[in-house]
Amino acid sequence: MRQGTLRLGAFFYATGHHVAGWRHPSSEADGGLNLARYVGWAQRAEAAKFDLVFLEDGTGIRDTNLRSSERTARSAHFEPVTLLSALAAVTSRIGLVATTSTSFNEPYNVARRFASLDHLSGGRAGWNLVTSTTDAEAANFGNDRIARHTDRYERAEEFADVVLGLWNTWDDGAVVIDRESGQFSKPDGFRPLNHRGTHFEVQGPLNISRTPQGQPVLVQAGSSGPGRDLAARTAEIVFTANQTLAEAVEFYGDLKARLPRFGRVADDLKIMPGLFPVVGRSEAEARAKFEALQDLIDPVVGLALLERMVGGFDLSGYDPEGPVPELPVAEGAKSRQQLMFDLARREGLTLRQLYLRIAGARGHAQIVGTAAQIADEMEERFRAHGADGFNIMPATLPGGLDDFIELVLPELRRRGLFRHEYEGTTLRAHLGTRPPTGFGSAAPARIVQP
Amino acid sequence: MSRDRRLHLGAFMRPAGIHTAWWRYPGGEPDANFSLKHLARFAQRLEAGKFDAFFMADHLAVMNMPMAALRRSATVTSFDPLTLLPALAVLTERIGLIATASTTYNEPYHVARKFASLDHISNGRAGWNLVTSGNPDEALNFGRDAHVDHATRYARAREFFDVVTGLWDSFADDAFLMDPESGVFFDPARMHVLDHRGEHLKVKGPLNVARPIQGWPVIVQAGASEAGRQIAAETAEMVFGSASTLEAAQAFYADVKGRMPAVGRNPDHLKILPGAFVVLGETEDEARAKKARLDDLVHPDSGLANLSVRLGVDAAGFPLDAPLPEIPETNASRSGQAQIVDYARRTGATVRDLARKVGGYGGLQMIGTAAQVADRMEEWLETRACDGFNVMFPFLPEGLDDVVDRLVPELQRRGLFRRNYEGTTLRDHLGLPRPANRFFA
Repeated sequence: MRQGTLRLGAFFYATGHHVAGWRHPSSEADGGLNLARYVGWAQRAEAAKFDLVFLEDGTGIRDTNLRSSERTARSAHFEPVTLLSALAAVTSRIGLVATTSTSFNEPYNVARRFASLDHLSGGRAGWNLVTSTTDAEAANFGNDRIARHTDRYERAEEFADVVLGLWNTWDDGAVVIDRESGQFSKPDGFRPLNHRGTHFEVQGPLNISRTPQGQPVLVQAGSSGPGRDLAARTAEIVFTANQTLAEAVEFYGDLKARLPRFGRVADDLKIMPGLFPVVGRSEAEARAKFEALQDLIDPVVGLALLERMVGGFDLSGYDPEGPVPELPVAEGAKSRQQLMFDLARREGLTLRQLYLRIAGARGHAQIVGTAAQIADEMEERFRAHGADGFNIMPATLPGGLDDFIELVLPELRRRGLFRHEYEGTTLRAHLGTRPPTGFGSAAPARIVQP
Repeated sequence: MSRDRRLHLGAFMRPAGIHTAWWRYPGGEPDANFSLKHLARFAQRLEAGKFDAFFMADHLAVMNMPMAALRRSATVTSFDPLTLLPALAVLTERIGLIATASTTYNEPYHVARKFASLDHISNGRAGWNLVTSGNPDEALNFGRDAHVDHATRYARAREFFDVVTGLWDSFADDAFLMDPESGVFFDPARMHVLDHRGEHLKVKGPLNVARPIQGWPVIVQAGASEAGRQIAAETAEMVFGSASTLEAAQAFYADVKGRMPAVGRNPDHLKILPGAFVVLGETEDEARAKKARLDDLVHPDSGLANLSVRLGVDAAGFPLDAPLPEIPETNASRSGQAQIVDYARRTGATVRDLARKVGGYGGLQMIGTAAQVADRMEEWLETRACDGFNVMFPFLPEGLDDVVDRLVPELQRRGLFRRNYEGTTLRDHLGLPRPANRFFA
């Protein structure tokens, strides 16, 4: 039987992951606008010994359906790295992982920010690399349309190479601070990157030295073909969305099998699917909690949510009590769209039933039950090599987080599946992974003056 | 004695020490520039000293100087301001937090988001120092062969300002209802889509952050070229001046404020704070001795490198004991170059002299007892050379402690500086109005 403990992420999403969570008394409705809420949640997650806090992101209001977005808490939130920098000052152990897109950023800026966060936090920073998927975001950066899937991933690959390269333009121990001799850094301790590629030309070096973790942890989430290779080559965590055990095991096996090609081993990469738990002291209590949330979903919101998940196609002309219609391939979210269709087909769902299903978990696995039932699912997935851990998505915040900590964590600990105390001080130490190697310039230092 | 004019004080904290050899001074904390622990303590001390703001400069490249000098520089590794300041925000309560962000190598949507987020996180204490990037090597980190030319940088900056402030106005102050009963989170009639289409930038919006606490973070600038002065008159609320003589400062003050009525602005709504490098001692001799000791710690390689950076050309080949040769105009900071060239022509200084002068710190210096420095600050304030100073500390922590423990009380005693914060936001400290939302009544 597979031994070991689970990795757990606390996925914070202002007011919780359930789309109507903000309306429920167990949520703090102003979460997206009020730092004190995040401080509270982060400190609770740290006290519970989670590996990391995770923030997703979008560079714009992705829900272009105003009738819907006015009724959700998704339109205003903090820029994630800015927020994590604040949280770094009020926590000391928990990892801090933020999403930043490769689509509308420059690699130099991204490399800097995460290295700076790593220094600030004593070695707890992680960058979740994503590509932007909506036209709404593209329009905030001078573009009418989002780039095609393959083009986005080409840029993302090169972007990752540049960032990893920049993090490696400095050697460990290059900063010597010798007051006597007046030498602050070793002259051969850092060097340019001299990257010249299709999308980027970046000289470097980075203007930040090697971080407490050496370099931040690289995280990814895409599950499509090019996404899987990029993850195998560069990531230490992969967040993913899967529903059934079979899907989870397939994905896990496929991804881990790609590692040796890049000189890496299975433990170097942790796969953490999202998990949306609603936990009660009894099954009935859990179900009641969930139904209370479902009842708060405004139909306008439910349908709009589904429209976005299947690639932005207008569903308002279809009968909500009828089957999910055939739709063209979505440029913006290929893998998520496929997930939706598979789910609908597998369970024979109507449009309304589908939107009620995904309204909480947005395509991630959802479990409504007792602590034992939830722990059973988690344990099964872990032992079957379907996951190395989970990214916990509380339905409401802080209520859902508190429930998980109070009810599920003790059960996991009882089974020997989760830590009682932190052992290390860095994110990488919590994960037990190793960074990808082979990045950074092999070119000799540019001699400007003798 | 009551006064109608009082000083505003900023603290120049990135790099934490502006003098090249600050980190070598005996008894100091040489890693201060890159330690959250030290910087947090400094911010808290400055807050105890009632400073208006903690200010961070920035660069998007390692400083453009040869390795021989770079290895001696403490600024080769520094925090990104928009990660350090949120951390300081939760460790302080009142002091303003000003970050530099370039308009040349950033996208306005990102800048708008980050500063709006910082303003919320800090309960209304954020400021944006809008720069166009003075370090030519930055271009090479962003896919360009050469630095974008001066005129284009400033044109883009002007448009960038319009976009960022327009995005900050995306939501009316009262847009977020958050009403669980009705299920309405925000009122769509109180949201504005900017849809900016300009010569340099095309940005749709809206911003996905609620309106900042201050309406807009405080707008700060530093360029002193003709283009810089005009953009400041049109848009800035605080200007970090670089004049090093009273006369130059008075001329700059009169010029920039003089341009404001023509663009419909009240000159009181712009505070001009020249940088001031302050070294204190129990006696004037003691203060001068500290400064000399600091200057002696500057290695010649560093001095020449600094001169090269200021001039925008490589000075390493210039004969050391001859006057400064002809210097062409460059794409680097125009006002920075003009100042040192002007000084050289006026005094006939040799290259060696100039290297020594700028090797440590080449701008305005106030060296003496607390009373002497207070006298000088008072004179600058009273004769309209400035509205206050952006104080630079010679070494840390002693230089900062000296100012907080000796200079501030002297200024307070004279009624020249606040004894307590009166408001809670950076705008309150600076006496600036809160901008109305341009799209909503």
